[in-house]
Amino acid sequence: MSTKVQEITRYPDSVDPVKTDGRDVDRGLADLIGEASHQNAEPKDQHIQEIAEAPWRNVPSVAREDPTYFDRPMLKKSVWSPDIPIYYFLGGAAGAALTLGAALQLVSRGHYDRVRQLSEACHWIGIVGSTGGALFLIHDLGRPSRFLYMMRVFRPTSPMNMGVWILAGAAPTAITTGLLINRRGIWGRIGEVTGYASGVFGAALAGYTGVLVSNTAIPVWQQSRRWVPVMFMASSAAAAASVIDLISADEVTRSVTRVFGAVGRAAEIAATYKTEQVAAAIPKVGEALHRGGPGALWRLATVLTAASLGVSFFAGKSRKKVVVAGWLGAAGSLCLRLAVHYVGNASALDPKASFHQQRNA
Amino acid sequence: MSPQSYTDGQLGAVAAQALERRAARDDTANRSGRKGFFTDTTLCIGCKACEVACKQWNQLPDDGLIFTGMSYDNTAALGASTWRHVAFVERPVALSTQDAGAFSWLFSSDVCKHCNRAGCLESCPTGSIVRTEFGSVYVQPDICNGCGYCVVSCPFGVIDRRESDGRAWKCTLCYDRLKGGMEPACAKACPTDSIKFGDMEELLRTARARVDGLREQGMHEAYLYGDDAASQPGTEGLNAFFLLVEKPEAYNLPPDPVVPTRNGQDAWRSFAFAAVGMIATAIGSAMASRKAAR
Repeated sequence: MSTKVQEITRYPDSVDPVKTDGRDVDRGLADLIGEASHQNAEPKDQHIQEIAEAPWRNVPSVAREDPTYFDRPMLKKSVWSPDIPIYYFLGGAAGAALTLGAALQLVSRGHYDRVRQLSEACHWIGIVGSTGGALFLIHDLGRPSRFLYMMRVFRPTSPMNMGVWILAGAAPTAITTGLLINRRGIWGRIGEVTGYASGVFGAALAGYTGVLVSNTAIPVWQQSRRWVPVMFMASSAAAAASVIDLISADEVTRSVTRVFGAVGRAAEIAATYKTEQVAAAIPKVGEALHRGGPGALWRLATVLTAASLGVSFFAGKSRKKVVVAGWLGAAGSLCLRLAVHYVGNASALDPKASFHQQRNA
Repeated sequence: MSPQSYTDGQLGAVAAQALERRAARDDTANRSGRKGFFTDTTLCIGCKACEVACKQWNQLPDDGLIFTGMSYDNTAALGASTWRHVAFVERPVALSTQDAGAFSWLFSSDVCKHCNRAGCLESCPTGSIVRTEFGSVYVQPDICNGCGYCVVSCPFGVIDRRESDGRAWKCTLCYDRLKGGMEPACAKACPTDSIKFGDMEELLRTARARVDGLREQGMHEAYLYGDDAASQPGTEGLNAFFLLVEKPEAYNLPPDPVVPTRNGQDAWRSFAFAAVGMIATAIGSAMASRKAAR
């Protein structure tokens, strides 16, 4: 049947409509000057294909009470790939590590101090995490070559724009610190200053993504916007402590991560609980946190983080347990960011979540 | 100059920047020349001429042919390549002025609302989305880098990113036609004048008179959706507003949309507290290391 359609030439001198990009006009004959004429399109872009359904058994109609438009989504789900939650994780861990690195730099005494060495390790985690995260961020753009266009404006209303400036502050200062901090004289001094600067940018980098997520129309994150940034910040601290535990093993490291990790993980669990509680104030909104795969991922994140907190607490002098706690903590943080992404998508596609939230605001 | 050469050239970017600066100035200085749509859904017959006119004028590609199976609405939603969408609402309820038993069919041609306070514009990190001299919200295709933040920032779910294009697209209020002194293609094509285009002041007068007229005829359900900041504070009013006869939800419109950036300070405040908390914890943990290193 389909081959028969292709044999038909509708206009003798026109391109075969079946083979056009969906505009159904001969690009050679038409003046392509419309607003969307340079929209790249391929026939394989079946954007709305996923909403096609098997025929209804009963003729549907719109309910009188609590209506929806045939249960069709009202909002668009995010067009982001998992690159973005991975960036939340990498950037977050890097940011918190930079802050911890700056704090260690503050209390260290001299170049050959063990505390100073740990501070440097933190800076290198920051360098790898922020540059690696930036690559994921750029990769997810529809037009990666235009990444720098984000820096043609300074726009406080856009958390994403603020985030790019934060990243543009954190990564270069971290790199400068990594290269210069052990130099003598003026270069070393510059390294010290950029070290503290990277610590401040790092704190911002660790939590701004929480603002980015909650500053959207997605009902579940809009509803819990006062807690999502706290959750992200805590999760970043937990991830940083976990990564440090995995790459550095001595008593000085443990003395730091024991406190930083415990506070980060406990705060992550607490903020996750608060987020859930606030979202649950409107049942339809809170539902997304419990439903299906995204809900399971959300639950798993808390389980992993709690396990990490427990194992770390009872690790004592066992390196093995510290490593296990480190992997669990990192996995918990990554899992939480992935859960935020997928729960958000599910929430956006549920029209009643938005409707109920707005009716009850 | 064709748009192709305009958008791809470096000169284009510079010119666009200058245009944006001008638009930003106009955004605060000049709201008197606002143009918009008044979509009177009681006049809509569901012919979809607006959809076709929009596709044709703007040379939009298709989104793939699907069968939704739910009604005569096989367009389903607004998207990157669908800038007008006629909703077909089927209700098991009689409309007060119709005599079709316990059933009524409502049509509504949905479009970008060109909010007075626009979520997409405020969230755009590149400054690609601007306010034009007509009060409309316009995505500059030569600036958009496809970050996708506007997609989740629109409380109406209007704007979307096209897969193989990698950029965000939505209704432009036919910016090119307005520049040429013409009305948008959809309004021009509408056979019942359900889609009215004009100066906002004029449209508001028409719309309010129409509601009064309908109520006099006995259609007491008629009301205006998003006509001004008082009726919809979350968006500070829409430049494309509607006359509806059923709850907004039935037409897939949010009952009380709020531009996310309006609540931005809540999240930023929590962020600030959390950042201070983390810095304090970091310094505290670092002190513990001092003890261990001794």
